[in-house]
Amino acid sequence: MVEDEPQLARQLAAALNDAGYAVDTAADGTRADFLVHTERYDAIVLDLGLPGRDGLKWLEDWRTQGIAVPVLVLTARSSWHEKVLGIDRGADDYVAKPFRIEEVLARLRGLIRRASGQATPELKCGAVNLDPRSSRVTLEGTPIRLTGHEFRVLSYLMHHRGRIVSQLELTEHIYSRGSDRESNTVEVFVARLRRKLGAATIETVRGLGYRMGDAP
Amino acid sequence: MAGLWYVRRGLSPVAQLRTRLAAVHTGAERRVAGSYPAEVQPLVDDLNELLDHQEKTVQRAVGKAGDLAHGLKTPLALLAQEAESAARMGNPALAESITQQVDRMRRQIDHHLAHARAAASGAMPGARTSVLKSAEGLVRTMQQLHADKRLTIDCTVDRDHAVRAHRHDLDEMLGNLLDNACKWAATRVRVESSATPAAIVILVDDDGPGIAETLREAVLQRGVRADEAAPGSGFGLAIVRDLAELYGGRIALDKSGLGGLQARLQLPRAT
Repeated sequence: MVEDEPQLARQLAAALNDAGYAVDTAADGTRADFLVHTERYDAIVLDLGLPGRDGLKWLEDWRTQGIAVPVLVLTARSSWHEKVLGIDRGADDYVAKPFRIEEVLARLRGLIRRASGQATPELKCGAVNLDPRSSRVTLEGTPIRLTGHEFRVLSYLMHHRGRIVSQLELTEHIYSRGSDRESNTVEVFVARLRRKLGAATIETVRGLGYRMGDAP
Repeated sequence: MAGLWYVRRGLSPVAQLRTRLAAVHTGAERRVAGSYPAEVQPLVDDLNELLDHQEKTVQRAVGKAGDLAHGLKTPLALLAQEAESAARMGNPALAESITQQVDRMRRQIDHHLAHARAAASGAMPGARTSVLKSAEGLVRTMQQLHADKRLTIDCTVDRDHAVRAHRHDLDEMLGNLLDNACKWAATRVRVESSATPAAIVILVDDDGPGIAETLREAVLQRGVRADEAAPGSGFGLAIVRDLAELYGGRIALDKSGLGGLQARLQLPRAT
């Protein structure tokens, strides 16, 4: 999340955390540029009114550098002319300030879902169903309680159903930058998920990582 | 050709100046063009300098109005977030009241900013915008913003159709109409243009539920929504109407051949 107003950044980060996302924040474009080039993100929330260089200029750079991460733009400049300029420079969606947090969350979910090529909002894999809107998981229709980290691991694997996901990729996805991360804890979460959802739910592909669902 | 040349030549410098000045006034030309006898030329130069000065002043004023409007949006966003925390901490009445006021302020800002821009456009003659350019950019944008709906958006706009309006304002009018159509459409949206000698007519159609005839006039009024559950502010169509009228055009709603709503935007044609 790239937002220069500290209070708004804190509130947004808290809301995104509550919704089950791991969030890194940057208060300016330079920091964001560094993070975007060093980490793998599922989405970027970008405020356009950044100090120094305009957010759209950074976005344009990222797109020309081949960075395809979905970008949700937050902006005070919400005229249609400005929206067209933003979309043409690589924005994927827009939320105008002031906004309701539900709107930001809904747009973000849509972007992440589209980027991973899922057409229906609810994710399904065997007997496991995951609803990203409510963060609810069911097994054969019965609700299953998961911790935040377990949910993130499951959600990531289900979004990338049929593909092998490495431990490192999972670790980067479930922890915020700078938090204490150890890749063997991913094994712990996977083991707990298997206990709750059935041993066959998540397959270990030796030496490569984990996979849910059949290989495409 | 020869005939035209004789007519031109036959005009006195003062008559020529008046013709050119009238063209500036109607917006057909941005500056007083042509060459004039030595005793008239300084006057023409002065006039053009005055037009330059006026254009810069107006642009500065619009820039300031924009800065003011956008500067208010971030504090408003903070206030909206505070309202949401109040709701979580068990004070939904306070939250609702703050949210309503934030929403009102945002509408006021958007409304007056759009007006300031349009009024400034009136003060800066010579506006000319290609309908196709505006429509193509907006269709790309709508495809992206309404990606989940997988709509088919047809754009049949003549390359030569241009209106006497600034790009920013045409984008605002057409953007609101297209966005509204995309929100309500089931599968299809269509934008097309036609021309009369003095006007360009842009039609935006959708295959959604449409708006009952008795409500069509009401949704063009400021602050009225056809359906309170509709996404967006409901303010969009009223802004389209205000902008269209400022440019001497008009907007009307009708039943679409596609089954939903047809919006008909008419604007003065630019040559």
